Amino acid sequence: MFLTGRHLSRRTFLQAGAASIALPYLDATMPARVSAAARAQRLICIEVVHGAAGSSAFGRQKHLWAPAQVGRDFDLTPTSLRALEPFRDCLTIVSNTDVDPAEPFTATEIGGDHFRSSAVFLTQAHPRQTEGGDIRAGTSLDQLFARRYGVETPIPSMQLCIERVDGGGGCGYGYSCVYADAISWASPTRPLPMIRDPRVVFDRLFGMARGASSAAGRDRLAEDRSILDGVLASAARLARGLGPADRARLSEYFDNVREIERQIQQIEAHNASGELRELPEAPLGVPDAFGAHVKLLCDLQVLAFRADVTRVFAFKLGRDTSNRTYPDSGCPTPFHNASHHGGREARILEFAKINAYHVGMIAYLLDRLRGMPGPAGSLLDETLVLYGSPMGDPNQHNHKRVPFFCAGRAGDAIPGGLHLQAPNETPLANVMLGILHALGLPDVERFGDSDGVFDLRRTETRG
Amino acid sequence: MKLLLAALAFAAAALADPVGVNGTWTMTLHAGHDIPTPLVLKQQDTKVTGTIRLPTQTIGQLVEVDLTGEFVDRALTLSGTVENADPPATVKIAGTMKDDGTLEGTLAMHTHGVPWTAERFKERKPSGF
Repeated sequence: MFLTGRHLSRRTFLQAGAASIALPYLDATMPARVSAAARAQRLICIEVVHGAAGSSAFGRQKHLWAPAQVGRDFDLTPTSLRALEPFRDCLTIVSNTDVDPAEPFTATEIGGDHFRSSAVFLTQAHPRQTEGGDIRAGTSLDQLFARRYGVETPIPSMQLCIERVDGGGGCGYGYSCVYADAISWASPTRPLPMIRDPRVVFDRLFGMARGASSAAGRDRLAEDRSILDGVLASAARLARGLGPADRARLSEYFDNVREIERQIQQIEAHNASGELRELPEAPLGVPDAFGAHVKLLCDLQVLAFRADVTRVFAFKLGRDTSNRTYPDSGCPTPFHNASHHGGREARILEFAKINAYHVGMIAYLLDRLRGMPGPAGSLLDETLVLYGSPMGDPNQHNHKRVPFFCAGRAGDAIPGGLHLQAPNETPLANVMLGILHALGLPDVERFGDSDGVFDLRRTETRG
Repeated sequence: MKLLLAALAFAAAALADPVGVNGTWTMTLHAGHDIPTPLVLKQQDTKVTGTIRLPTQTIGQLVEVDLTGEFVDRALTLSGTVENADPPATVKIAGTMKDDGTLEGTLAMHTHGVPWTAERFKERKPSGF
């Protein structure tokens, strides 16, 4: 057990055995961190499948996704975004954009929307129709960001998901399963695997510094131990040299780490108890309840940002054609079935409840980010959370007028507090290119099928 | 001169097949929700052959059905047998071409009938492949 780093450098870790606990932002580390971390932006890219009720003709008429008003004085009340009202000052809604690369380009691709769309979301590139090893899409937005800024953190980026991933082979319509499984692409031919198990995420963030196996976490569970046990003595030594405010921050941070670890242990214990599981195929660390799973992975992302272990996450909330139900949404119909609303008003409104429920999860994430101190304000001030779907109206399987928003200012990169309506047929890729520029990558000239740059700082809010 | 010949050939083809159904169509089955599927047709005089790919009960799995039929006075009729279906199934497609060049009609299989619409599909080549 030892304390690495000198004079609380930016890369101070408390280590014991395989565990490696990075320190949170402290006044004592600020001089070392301020030059790099204070200007550092963080990025979370979240994909939801099956589009939105607000992309249907009736949904647009009723403003079930995008508000009626453009500019600053928008009313979120009728929309599926209403849970974001407390964050409207840092919310940027961009409506009326299309994801044309998700459309079929050849006859054999017609009807295969569910099996290629996820690969398009963050790449805005048209995937090659293949079930073999010659997969191809594009480099994703999160990876372009991570390529530039991920080198400054121990983990360049992480990819998280909520539902099962199929891995290899074909999933349908002649498409490899990887197109439905992965949203993050390091290159056009290299999709990055998604992690579903919170235990694996936790161990990757805190316990795998020396290549320990993930079984180490389960060993601790069996012995009712914590990853923090081994670092308590060095943490106490460290705390003695800190001021009262830093001591409180350090204590609260360790409490957060321990709380998340305890949650994972409780979930694992429950799932190992032999009780009937709703998700029998899921790893032990995955809670059966959707909301609990999403929130736990959100907590882990916030903790990772706080410790500056990574600054980039891609987060996939669901899988195409998923028929999961969300009892807390108020809609009893399974997700995929609900998305096929048949154009009937009552069913569109029912589907909108699921959309609102999903967005409510993002409100939780934003709340957690806002509650965490960063190097200059809260973590939300330094972060951009991007949320959307590559599909528009799922009843038609189209990719027009797709749901999209971003929240957070990523420093002062994006002003927020705006609903921006794009001209008809604007590629979502233009918006993503604008985001890349705002995030400090102005040298990226094109992204996917972009034919221009959509400026998220614009003062003209329509057209 | 070459340009003139090409224009004449194009005009002759248009006259011979002013409202034909040759080509690839995006057929949308309106079966509660919209299911897009490719319909590829080849027309010779009034005789039409082609294929349709129909979704099965297993999501993502398709069955391709060969079709034969005719296109007369803007009315399209096609039929085909679903190979290896149990019980054996015949697909019957009836439709008409509208003034805007799109198609609409009904697809029947077993005892079910599903309305459909279709519009011409333009193939595109993605960049970067």
